[in-house]
Amino acid sequence: MRRASGGIPVVAVALLLTMLLAGSASALQVGDKAPDFTLTAPGGKQVKLADLLGKGPVVIYTFIQAFTPT
Amino acid sequence: MPQFEAMGAQVVGVSADAPGTLGAFQKENNISKQILAADWPRREMLQKYDAMVTDDKSPIYRYAKRAYFILDKNGTVKYIKVMDSPLNILSADEVIKAIKESGAA
Repeated sequence: MRRASGGIPVVAVALLLTMLLAGSASALQVGDKAPDFTLTAPGGKQVKLADLLGKGPVVIYTFIQAFTPT
Repeated sequence: MPQFEAMGAQVVGVSADAPGTLGAFQKENNISKQILAADWPRREMLQKYDAMVTDDKSPIYRYAKRAYFILDKNGTVKYIKVMDSPLNILSADEVIKAIKESGAA
């Protein structure tokens, strides 16, 4: 039974590594096609990524919350 | 920001706030040149862009990271910068430089 008790952590580590690798592969990277999105502007107007493209570069920044510096 | 207009660049600010909150923020700070948009209530965009923090210990619980994404006009991602701290901000000049150097313009 000594071997069995040593086997569990190995499986756990392997599982963790798989999860980490899968996580990093799904993160957005330079060269990727930007995922489309639809957002709501104040006043209720819908902002779609597709509507912003075609005119020039698009800078998207995200910020923690309103009333923090942008 | 005339430099952004000269490049034909569009600047979009995204937060996890409700649209009404963002409207008040926009009015108070007179941010009229940029589009501000709320990824609300489902925060799908922030999740897709890997720009969200979920923190059980924070009173806000779910909030956006401070990150910058620059796309070219075809929608290809040219530049990603996720700040270590939400208090770190890129200046307009730094963003312009990133647009030029990444080849997005």
